[in-house]
Amino acid sequence: MLPFLCALLASQAPPAPVSYQRDIRPIIASRCQMCHQQANRSGGVALDSPTGIASLQATLLAAVTGDPPKMPKAGKPLSAAQVSLLKKWFEEGAKDDSGKAAPVIWWSLRPIAKPAAPDTGDKNPLDRFIHAKLAEHKLTPSPEADRRTLIRRVTYDLHGLPPSPDETDAFAADNSPDAYERLVDRLLASPRYGERWARHWLDVAHYGDSHGYDKDKPRPNAWPYRDYVIRAFNQDKPYSRFVREQLAGDILYPEDPDGLIATGFIAAGPWDFVGHQELREKTTDKKITRTLDRDDMVTSAMSTFASMTVHCARCHDHKFDPIPQEDYYSVQAVFAGVDRADRPFDRDPAVYARRRALLARKRAVQIEMQPFLDKVEYATSAEIAALDASILDAKLLIAHIGTPKNSADAAEKKQLEARLAAETRRRKQLVDAIAGAETYAEIDRLTARKKEIDAELALLPAPEAVYAAASYFERAGNFRPSLVPRPVYVLARGSDQSPGKEASPGAMSAVAAIPARFTLSDSQDEGLRRAALAGWIVDRQNPLTWRSIVNRVWHYHFGAGIADSPNDFGRMGSLPSHPELLDWLAVWFRDDAGGSMKQLHRLIVTSATYRQSSANRAEAAKLDNDNRLLWRMNRSRLDAESLRDSVLAAAGKLDLAEGGPAVRMFYFKDDHSPVYDYSRFDPDAPGAHRRSIYRFIVRSVPDPFMDRMDCPDPSVFTPKRSTTLTAIQALANLNDPFIVRMSEHLAERVRNGPDPLSAAFRFTLGRAPPAAERALLEPYLQKNGLENYCRLLFNSNEFLFVD
Amino acid sequence: MKRRDFLWSHGGGLGGIALAHLLGQESLLQGAQPRPEFNGGIHHPARAKRVVQLFMSGAASQCDTFDYKPLLIKKGGEKWDPGEKVELFQSDPGVVMPCPWEWKQYGQCGKWVSSLLPHTAARVDDIAFVHSMIAKSNVHGPATFMQNTGFVLPGFPSMGAWISYALGSQNQNLPALVVFPDPRGFPPNGPANWSAGFLPAAHQATMIRAGSANPIHDLFPPDWAKFITPESERRTFDVLKQFNEAHRADREGDSRLEARIASYEMAARLQISAPEVLALDGETDATRTLYGIGDPATDDLGRRCLTARRLLERGVRFVQIWSGADNGFPRRNWDSHENLAKDHGEMGTALDKPMAGLLTDLKARGLLNDTIVYWTTEFGRMPCSQGSKGRDHNPFGFTSWLAGGGTKGGVSFGATDEWSYKAVDRPIYCYDVHATVLHLLGIDHTRLTYRHNGIDRRLTDVHGTVIRELLA
Repeated sequence: MLPFLCALLASQAPPAPVSYQRDIRPIIASRCQMCHQQANRSGGVALDSPTGIASLQATLLAAVTGDPPKMPKAGKPLSAAQVSLLKKWFEEGAKDDSGKAAPVIWWSLRPIAKPAAPDTGDKNPLDRFIHAKLAEHKLTPSPEADRRTLIRRVTYDLHGLPPSPDETDAFAADNSPDAYERLVDRLLASPRYGERWARHWLDVAHYGDSHGYDKDKPRPNAWPYRDYVIRAFNQDKPYSRFVREQLAGDILYPEDPDGLIATGFIAAGPWDFVGHQELREKTTDKKITRTLDRDDMVTSAMSTFASMTVHCARCHDHKFDPIPQEDYYSVQAVFAGVDRADRPFDRDPAVYARRRALLARKRAVQIEMQPFLDKVEYATSAEIAALDASILDAKLLIAHIGTPKNSADAAEKKQLEARLAAETRRRKQLVDAIAGAETYAEIDRLTARKKEIDAELALLPAPEAVYAAASYFERAGNFRPSLVPRPVYVLARGSDQSPGKEASPGAMSAVAAIPARFTLSDSQDEGLRRAALAGWIVDRQNPLTWRSIVNRVWHYHFGAGIADSPNDFGRMGSLPSHPELLDWLAVWFRDDAGGSMKQLHRLIVTSATYRQSSANRAEAAKLDNDNRLLWRMNRSRLDAESLRDSVLAAAGKLDLAEGGPAVRMFYFKDDHSPVYDYSRFDPDAPGAHRRSIYRFIVRSVPDPFMDRMDCPDPSVFTPKRSTTLTAIQALANLNDPFIVRMSEHLAERVRNGPDPLSAAFRFTLGRAPPAAERALLEPYLQKNGLENYCRLLFNSNEFLFVD
Repeated sequence: MKRRDFLWSHGGGLGGIALAHLLGQESLLQGAQPRPEFNGGIHHPARAKRVVQLFMSGAASQCDTFDYKPLLIKKGGEKWDPGEKVELFQSDPGVVMPCPWEWKQYGQCGKWVSSLLPHTAARVDDIAFVHSMIAKSNVHGPATFMQNTGFVLPGFPSMGAWISYALGSQNQNLPALVVFPDPRGFPPNGPANWSAGFLPAAHQATMIRAGSANPIHDLFPPDWAKFITPESERRTFDVLKQFNEAHRADREGDSRLEARIASYEMAARLQISAPEVLALDGETDATRTLYGIGDPATDDLGRRCLTARRLLERGVRFVQIWSGADNGFPRRNWDSHENLAKDHGEMGTALDKPMAGLLTDLKARGLLNDTIVYWTTEFGRMPCSQGSKGRDHNPFGFTSWLAGGGTKGGVSFGATDEWSYKAVDRPIYCYDVHATVLHLLGIDHTRLTYRHNGIDRRLTDVHGTVIRELLA
C-alpha cells in the first residue's frame, strides 16, 4: 500500500516555491482552523491569516512534529509531505500570495470537461484509463475470469441473486463471441435488476417503514416510494428526470402520480412523532423539532445528489469546504414548506386530476380559515390556563388508572370523568366569549365549504396513499401543515434561540457556474423552491451531480468508488484514484448516454477491467495491496439481502412476487410503543419468502439476522456498507430459524433425486463437487443427514463470497 | 496474555490483520491501540477497564432521589414561581410539590438521599454525583438518544459501541458490549439506543433477554431443529472448517476468508462461555440475597445486575442495564406524569437493592477499582406538580452519578437552583460525563474518531470536558 500512496503524493507534490494559497491554506483550514481561528481561538491561537501563522512558526512546527505530535488533536497527524511544505514555506519567508493567486478550486467543484481516453488500444474506453494508469505504476491487468465466475459475479451484481445451475451450465458452454454481452442484456432487462439496484438507492436515501424515535410507529404507506425506485431503475428513467421527480415531481409532473410518489425520497428518513404531534405550537422544542426535521432533508438531498456535506454548516461555516452557513440555511429554506405525511393519489389520470383540483380548493379554504381557528386555539385567560392544567390532570389520571382494578379505582375514574366533562364545558364557554360570535360564524361558513369539497372527494374512488413530502394534509394532534413556507433563519451556533437573518431559498455558492440563490416567480410558493433546487442539481454545469452518480454506480460494481467516499467529495473525502476517468464517465453519462443507468452498467460490466480474475498476485499486491488501481477484480462478500435471497433461491422457495405493501417479517402488536418481535415469526409464514427488498424495515428494532450481516441502520445515510465478520454473525448464519428452516427445505428439494449431494451443492455453489470435496462431504452427509449438509453449505465461505 | 500480544503473536496462523478484522478492531490498524504501558488505555494511562451503565428510562426525578432541596418541603403546596416563564412538555406549572419520601443524611460525606433508595444511600461514599446535568431536548426519544450517543438524532453509535471500537473485548469468548433491556419492553427508541450506528457491525451490542428461554438470539439452533445434535454440531464445525480451508487455499492473500473461518471457532467458544456466565446457580445464597434475588419486587433487576457482574469480571467491556421500558400505560418506567409516589415508588424499590448490591459486590471483589458504574437518565422532573400527583419533564437540571473506576467517592459536582429546577452551578451536557468516562478508560475523547460521510465523528461531537473534580 505504501509505495502506491507515495506515488500518489509524489505525483501531486507541488513545484517550488511553496504557495500559501495553494499549499498551506488547505492544510491549515482542514486540520487547524476548527479550533484555531478568530471565532474560537482555542488556546489563544488563531491561524486565519498568513501573518498569524508566520508569527507562530516555531510553536506550530513543534506542535505538529512531536512524538506523538501534540497537534492536530483530532484525526491523524499531519503527513510528512504536509510538514515539509510548512517548513519550506517558512524557510521561503512565509509569503502571502492569497491576494493575487486564483483561489484553489477543489477537484469536485472544477467544471467538468471530457478528457481524451489514453491510447492503449483497448476497445472499451474505461479500460484505456485503467490500463494506462496500471502501466504508469508498472502493473498489468489480470486475465479474464472463467465463465462460471463471470456469470456468478455479474448476476449477483445486477440481480443480487445467483444464476441458476442451468443458466451457469448454459453460459459456460456457450462459445459464441457475444455470449457475455447477451447475458448482460438479459440481466438488465429482468425486473430483478430494479429490485437489486433500488436497494442500493434506498441505503443512500435512508428509507424505512417506521418513523423511528420514541414509539416508532409503523409508516404503512412508505412502500409506494420503494416501488417507484424499483420501477425507475427497471424503466431506465433518465437520471435528471429521476432527480427532479424525487425533489419536486409533484410540482414538475403533476399529472403523473409517479411525480408525487417520488417525493417519498424527501420523507424517507426518520420522523420525530412525539416532537411533531405532541409538542405544542410556538414552543422552543417545537422549533427545534422542525429544524432537525429539515436538517434531515437537507442532508439527504445534498449528500445523495451532490455528494457534499452541506449539513456540516449548520452551526458554523463548513470547516473544510467552501460552504458558508448561509448556504446551509438556504437549502433548509427550500424545504420550509413541507412536512412528511401521507398524500393521496390515483392511478386513473382523470380521477387524480379531479382530486388535485379539489384538494387545492380545500387547502385555499384552510388558509382562509386558519386565523379564525387560531383565535379559538390560542384564546387564553388565567381561568382558562387553570382549567387546562386541571383538564390535562384529569385526562392523565384517567389514563393512569386504565382499566380499573377495584371499586375504588372505578369510583375515582368516574369522578374524574365527571370533572373532565364539567371543566371542558366551562372552558368552551370562556373561549367562546373571547373568540366572539363572528369568529365562529366565519369558521362555520368555511367549514361548510370544506364539507362540500369533502362530499365531492367522497364521490371519487378511494385513493392510494404515499408517505411523501407534504405541504397540505389533515391535522393530527399538534402536527399541522405550514400552508405557507415557515420562515427559516440563519441560526447562530445552530441554536433556534439565536436566529439571525432570514435565509432565502438556494443551494451551494461554491458551484460558480449556477446562481446560488433562486429567483422565484412567487417566493411563497414552496413547490417552486423544490423545483429550483432540482433544477440546480441537474444543471449540465453542475460538476458535482454528474461525478456523484457515476462514482456511486462504479462503487457498487467494484466495491470501491473512484473517489472512495461516495457521499463526500469535499476535503475530508477521498481523492479520486482516476480523476480523468471519473470526468470522462460523468460527461459520457450526462451527454452520450442521456443519463441512462443501464447504458452505464453495460459499459462498466463489459469492460475487461470488470471481467478480470479476482485472484491475488503477490508482486502486484506489494505495489497496490488495496487494489485501488484495479489490477484485479475485488472479491466481495454477499450483503445481507443477497445472502437471504440466495438462501431462499437455493432452497427453491424464493417468491418473486413484485411490489406492494411491506411484508412484516416479525410478530407485531400495536401499543404505545408497538412490539416488533422477530423471535416470534415463522420463516414459512405467508410472504416470508419474498425478496428482502420487500421486508418491512423497522427503524428501532432491526431484524437480528439482517443486522448481523451488516444490513445498515435505516436511520443512517449509508453510501457504503461495511462488511464485518464476527462470531455473532457466524452464529446467526448457523442458527437463525430462517437458515435452519431453509436447510430443511433444500434437503426436501434434493432428497428424492439420484444424487442429493451434488444437487444441493449445485443449488448453493453453482457447480458440481469434484472428487476431493465429495470425499470430504459424503461421510459427513451419511452421518448427519441432508438437512445438516445443506446447512453446512449455507455456511461455507464459497456461498458467501463472490470471486 | 495481553490482548495486543495475543493479536500480534497469535501462533495459530491467523494473521494480525485477519483477527483485528474479525474483532472489528480497525482502530488497531489505524494506530490507536490499547497499550500495556497505559494499563490498556490508548491515549494515556487508564484507571478503569470496564463500565456498567444503569439507565433509568422515562426520566428519573432528581428531586425525589439525590438532589435535596429543603425549600420544596417548606413551600410545599404553594404556587410555584421561579421568576420566569416556564415552558413544559405537556402542562403548565402547578404548585410546589415536595418529595413524597423522607430525606436523611448518609455516609461519611453526609449526603442527603431520599428514603426511596435506602440501600443505594448506604453506598454514597463510593459515589460521585453530578447534579447539574442538562439535556438538549425535553422529548424522551431525542433526549434518550442524546444520553446514549451524544446526539439527539437517530443513527449514531452508542457509548458502548464507541468503547468497543476503541478497546475491543478483553475476552475473545464473550462480546465486548452487552445490553439487558427491561423484560417489560424496550425503552423509547428501542435497540437503536445501543446501535453501533455507522461503526462496523462488529461493535453491535449483544442483547440478553433475561428470563427468556433463549436469552441470546441465535446462540443455539431453534428447539424444533431436531436434526441438529451435539455430535452433528461437532462434525459440522469440523467439516465446515476443512471445506473452507480448501476454498481458501486457492485464494491466497484475502484475510477475510481466514477471519471468517476463525469466526466459527470463536462462535463455538461463545456457545460454551455464554451459558456458563448466565447461570447463577454457582453464586452463594448470601450473594443472591445481596442482590435481592428471590424477592419478587427485586428479583428481575437482581438477576440482571448479578449477571452483569459475572460478565464484567470475565472481561466484557460495557454492560448496559435498563430500568424501565416505554412510556405507555400502565406505567412501566420512570415517566411519572400522573402519580409519582406510586410509579417512582415501584421503580425505585425494584432498583435500589440490586443496584446497591452490585456496588457492594463489585467493591468486595476488588472490581470497583477499575469498573465504572454509571447511573443516568434522559432528563429530570420538575419541582412543581403536574396535575395533583405527578411531575412533568425537566431538561434544565437533573442528576447522574459515577462510582468506581478512578472516580472520587462522596463528592457532588454542580448544583441546581434552590428549587431543583435549573442547573445553575456548572451546568453540563452528557458530553462531559462521556468525556470523563472515556478519560478514565485511557481514551482522549477528542481523538476517538470515525470518519463517516465527511465528518470525523466523535461520541462527544465537538464538545466535552473531562470533569476533573470527579477524579480520585
